[in-house]
Amino acid sequence: MKGAGAIDVAGLRKVFRHTGGGEAVVAIERLDFTIRQGDMVAIVGQTGCGKSTFLNILIGLERPTEGRVAIGGRTPYGDFDHFRGTLAAVFQQDRLLPWRTALDNVRLPLELLGRAPDEQARRARAWLDRLGLARFERAYPHELSGGMRQRVALARAFVIEPALLLADEAFGHLDEVTSAALRTTFIDLARTEGHTAILVTHQLEEAIDMGGRILVFGRPGALLADIDLHSWPRTSVAGLRGDIQRMLQSNAPLKEPPA
Amino acid sequence: MRPEEAIGSETVEAREARAPFRFPREMVVGLLALAVAWEIVSWFVPPFIVPGWGRIFKSLLGLPLDFVLVTLARVVGALVVSFVLGLGLAVAMYASTPVERYARPLVRLLMAVPVVCWILFAVLWFKWVEFRIAFVLVVVCAPVFLVDALDAMKGVSKDLRDMLRSFRPTRVQLFTKLVLPATVPAILTSWKINLSLAIRVVTIAELVGAVTGIGYGLVVAQELFSVSEVFAWTLILVVILFLAEAVLTRVEERILRWRA
Repeated sequence: MKGAGAIDVAGLRKVFRHTGGGEAVVAIERLDFTIRQGDMVAIVGQTGCGKSTFLNILIGLERPTEGRVAIGGRTPYGDFDHFRGTLAAVFQQDRLLPWRTALDNVRLPLELLGRAPDEQARRARAWLDRLGLARFERAYPHELSGGMRQRVALARAFVIEPALLLADEAFGHLDEVTSAALRTTFIDLARTEGHTAILVTHQLEEAIDMGGRILVFGRPGALLADIDLHSWPRTSVAGLRGDIQRMLQSNAPLKEPPA
Repeated sequence: MRPEEAIGSETVEAREARAPFRFPREMVVGLLALAVAWEIVSWFVPPFIVPGWGRIFKSLLGLPLDFVLVTLARVVGALVVSFVLGLGLAVAMYASTPVERYARPLVRLLMAVPVVCWILFAVLWFKWVEFRIAFVLVVVCAPVFLVDALDAMKGVSKDLRDMLRSFRPTRVQLFTKLVLPATVPAILTSWKINLSLAIRVVTIAELVGAVTGIGYGLVVAQELFSVSEVFAWTLILVVILFLAEAVLTRVEERILRWRA
């Protein structure tokens, strides 16, 4: 039996058609791969490679044009409500509700799940505390720095203990130090909590830091390489970086895989 | 350049609305200057054109001040009804696209009809004076509540909507946790707009058939050629409007303290 966080992507294709006619845009040409329960996966690719579209399909906000994506055997767009409480996403911007305090933002998903108010408060506080924000639970988002806001967003994702955790360019807009710190937090938490985690990024460092698998997306939406960091024949990070960069630049798989 | 001038496109009013309370010195000085100029003019012009402050205040004391309460009750009552109607219809139009498509042109039609026409219709259609006044106020104010609330609901950021949807809310949850709170600032703004609109419209509506209220007081004053009474009523109306706006601004500050 498949775990709740195992993902099957088969013959996935996504084309956007403008409502008023005009040219159709192919966001994803074709994707086929599987992700096992508990995998730590980074998806890298340049702008326009369909990685955000892929994530939106995975969240259930978009439907594929062809093919399917299944999480634990069910499609997130078809069986939308089945994924209540099992899936959480961290987005490019923090997307906090500006009229809610940090604590109330973290409580939000628990409210939606109908948890008892004292349980909501207890769990939300525990997560704010883990992310070093205990003193700021009553602060409104506009009173927090960009890094702190993104920490609140992380707490909001982790608080429901999702089987599948998704992050879409979640740290790229912050300064380098903050971004690296948040990335480490995210990876550590995802690993200790045992979630399947998918991090979409255009930064190779982030992808390598994830330490699991790297899916290299070419344009538009095709898999150039599925790299398992434990079995890829390169021993140096620089070599790995070079391989990925070559693929992204040529928008093609490596002609001769590294020996 | 002073630092606060660097803020750019923001108006002085917008900035002051969010600032903590401070004594409005410029406003007081400006109004006092106007009052003094008024008094000086009244020395040279006959009192039936520009009555002096002495006369105006004397008239003020003689006015039936319960008319003020009557007018205020009409305004508040009509605004509450307009708000409930406007918000209710906005929710219905937000929930259903066909409802919106049918209702929007009708709302636009309502908004295009001049107030004077509504007053005439009210006189022609209804006998009961209170109902006439309420009808005119509601038909003028409800569409403002409706359109402002609906536009705000439809303008809720797609990013926030997607974020919330990723957690699989019910339709009701999506509305109560996101759409409604996001609409609160627009609702408060439309209360401000409608309050001043209603205070101006109610007096005209009261001209027709009412035997109480500030509008009626104005008619009586005009029939008696008592210019100082007309000015006294006007003063009361302006003060009410200023006070109401000040109260709403404070309420807004409290409710919207989450804004940067």
